[in-house]
Amino acid sequence: MEDKMLEIRHLKKYFQTPAGKLHAVDDVSFQIEQGKTLGVVGESGCGKSTLGRTILCLNEPTEGKILFHGKDLVTAGKKERKRLRPKMQMIFQDPYSSLNGRMTVRQLIAEPLIVNKVCKNKKELEQRVSEAMETVGLAERLSMAYPHELDGGRRQRIGIARALVLEPEFIVCDEPVSALDVSIQAQILNLLMDLQEERKLTYLFITHDLSVVKHISDEIMVMYLGKCVERAPADEIFENPLHPYTKALLAAIPIPSVESCHKRRELLQGEVTSPVNPKPGCRFAARCPFAKESCRSGEILLREVSAGHFVACNQI
Amino acid sequence: MSNAGKKRNSQLSEIWRRYKKNKAAMVGLVILVIILFLAVFADLIVPYSKCIDQIGAERLQGPSLKHFFGTDEYGRDLFARVIHGSRYSLFIGVATSLMALVIGAVLGASAGYFGGVVDTVICRIIDVFMCVPPILLSLAVVAALGTSMRNLIIAITVSCIPGNVRLIRSLVLTVAEQDYVEAARSYGTSHARIIFRYVLPNAMGPIIVNTTMAISDMILSAAGLSFIGMGIQPPSPEWGALLSSAQQYMFTSPYLLLFPGMFIMLSSLSFNLVGDGLTDALDPKLKD
Amino acid sequence: MVLKIENLSVSYETDIEVVHAVNDISFSIEKGETLGLVGETGAGKTTTALSIMGLLPERTARVRSGRIEFQENDLLALSEREMQHIRGDKISMIFQDPMTALNPVLTVGEQIAEALILHNTDGYTQKEIEARVEETLELVGIPKERKKDYPYQFSGGMRQRVVIAIALVCNPDLLIADEPTTALDVTIQAQILSMICDLQRKYGTSVIMITHDLGVVAETCDKVGIIYAGEMVEYGTLYDIFEGDEHHPYTVGLFGSIPNLKENARRLHPIEGLMPDPTNLPEGCSFSPRCKRCMEICMKKKPAVYENNGHQIRCHLYDAGMQKAVSENRKEAGEDGR
Repeated sequence: MEDKMLEIRHLKKYFQTPAGKLHAVDDVSFQIEQGKTLGVVGESGCGKSTLGRTILCLNEPTEGKILFHGKDLVTAGKKERKRLRPKMQMIFQDPYSSLNGRMTVRQLIAEPLIVNKVCKNKKELEQRVSEAMETVGLAERLSMAYPHELDGGRRQRIGIARALVLEPEFIVCDEPVSALDVSIQAQILNLLMDLQEERKLTYLFITHDLSVVKHISDEIMVMYLGKCVERAPADEIFENPLHPYTKALLAAIPIPSVESCHKRRELLQGEVTSPVNPKPGCRFAARCPFAKESCRSGEILLREVSAGHFVACNQI
Repeated sequence: MSNAGKKRNSQLSEIWRRYKKNKAAMVGLVILVIILFLAVFADLIVPYSKCIDQIGAERLQGPSLKHFFGTDEYGRDLFARVIHGSRYSLFIGVATSLMALVIGAVLGASAGYFGGVVDTVICRIIDVFMCVPPILLSLAVVAALGTSMRNLIIAITVSCIPGNVRLIRSLVLTVAEQDYVEAARSYGTSHARIIFRYVLPNAMGPIIVNTTMAISDMILSAAGLSFIGMGIQPPSPEWGALLSSAQQYMFTSPYLLLFPGMFIMLSSLSFNLVGDGLTDALDPKLKD
Repeated sequence: MVLKIENLSVSYETDIEVVHAVNDISFSIEKGETLGLVGETGAGKTTTALSIMGLLPERTARVRSGRIEFQENDLLALSEREMQHIRGDKISMIFQDPMTALNPVLTVGEQIAEALILHNTDGYTQKEIEARVEETLELVGIPKERKKDYPYQFSGGMRQRVVIAIALVCNPDLLIADEPTTALDVTIQAQILSMICDLQRKYGTSVIMITHDLGVVAETCDKVGIIYAGEMVEYGTLYDIFEGDEHHPYTVGLFGSIPNLKENARRLHPIEGLMPDPTNLPEGCSFSPRCKRCMEICMKKKPAVYENNGHQIRCHLYDAGMQKAVSENRKEAGEDGR
């Protein structure tokens, strides 16, 4: 019935570091339906970016399955991957460093088409690039400009055009607005949502900004040190957060209204620990105000507590 | 922004604007242009025949209007020999640096970009070469291959490669970490295309500077090798060879050493000054 | 009054262009008060802070006009030597990036002591300085045993605490915090903000909080100044800015741009267009090219300051005889997702 465009099963990505095994992504599973957005939230070092990169096979996963329309990318051959590659694209966080400064806007957007040999002739290529520029709202006169001559918002539009030009079905957005000013941020968010509606795009939206993620996502996944601690529909997470970490995260957002003025609130103590050789049990136990002895041993599994609401916590 | 639509040569003109500010670099550039002009139009300035015409009556004469730089022990015109000699020196300097650059770029870029085993193998080989002083390395190559222009070029190139590989490898390492390289991978760009379209162009600034400076070293090494008889052989009018044969007349006819020596120094100096100027001009961070 | 700035204008001048970074900004801070300066990248927030500190780059920056009055001294008239006495002692600054603001080869204890040794007017002994360093460390929530550690041994949030300790060790009268939490995670941001507020209440320090985040402003500030293209377009108490009826259209746009956690609006209401080029500011009101309520006069004449009970707005909408337009602006402010 429902179209599971992307399904991730028990995905793991470990990095070998001098200090030991770094569990960047540890046993994460989820699925996204066509045309929906899954928001991934977490603090720096929680593995959200690694998750996005691993799904696109920019990192080889250590273990697990990445099913794209039912096809496993991990075991797929080189040819199969090459065929699927244009269907999955990425928008990067930093519009300053993710564009090659030696190329003009037009060259930058044309590059994916050239590399994947999509266009038969030069005319078609020019046509596709112009279309992409128009879609993201870049004026034709900018086509010969270099990225360093443009502002952050326009550069991010180039990044979006570059991801769109291959007509993908699925896009990983890795903090696409966090380097931008608020007024520009809103322009880009609106653009991403318009594009989603027009083209039935599916997003994996990675961010640390909870207000942004609520705005754009259908479902939200909260990550902590490589693990998914809670996953639920967007409204549900905000109205009824269950995991103590999710609660702390929500409480920490500064809210722009007078009521929050000089307000005292429950603060989460301590800082994120390292995901190198993690101890067994709940990874949040060290900072969790409700942690008990049982939290520090054994595997804490993600359980479905109500329809579509998954939590990994022993106390619930 | 108002300057967004400007033509693509704006980057070049920006570099030129910054280069012009450096007075020493401009002096270097002027000297370099003059020497290049002399080398390119040598035949028009003074015919090659004057380099080999031995006029017995005019041996070892000092500078005069007839012979600007005087004559050597066989009565050959030194001015003609120095001017034509610039062709050898500049050709060897440019050819060796370019060859060393290409080989260094391929090895250095693959070592830096692919890492792992490729990196280890290339680096260990380079380490071995780095242990030998460059001049000894060149001598060994010439000794093995015999003296000729071709072998001299090979010898000097070989001695220059290790440094280039090291430099380019470290540059590539920093560029390859940039997000745009990962972006290129995300839409399926091949490794070769990434190296040549993304990594090398972005590492180009320091490489250009290094190559310019290297030309000056190469000119010196070529002159040095020819001076000790391991490079270009007389009667070819190479600057080092000119110096070598002038040694014995050092006290009676010092001008025989002075003029070739001055040209070696000036050409080497000019490339160094230009290289210095480019370092600042190509660094966009020093923008003001 | 701790600090009073009057009609400050600063520009950066090079051979090719003149950047008008700060244009005619005025504000003042009372003892123990927190002023939030809000604006986007390039609005001139940091330049304002650097002019107070006397840390503008000498080669290019030029103060074109204005007065910065700090405890009855005109800071702009002071010599570099006199300024050094004030800087770090009476006024200190917290920088945005805790990763680069610390010297990696000195222990954090040495770096905190540095300011004390430089401003040692009371003749503290070595022992007293040590004691003060330890006291300050505890104050910002770092165990005093860690004073012998180097910056790389601290995480980002802990380093920002060290930076704050350095700023506070001399008990300054004015603390300038330039985006102190932008580089930190939300949970750490919450810790740092509440710590700054606690310390401020304890010592009666005045704080200038520079930020782009209206949420941070709401939590920490008493007064707010909204800066656009180097101009203070709106200035008032927290209540004026967040709940007041009268607003500059830019402020309205800024609030419309942030996704609201409480409401479920599907689309945001961004401000169209981009910040003007600071080398070539538009004639008349700087915001006029992006303003939804732009009138003919806005493109010709700089608006004067309209003041209502201390709430200042720099907009032609509030000129005499523009009452109809004002009521429309209010209506819009209500619609735009407030």
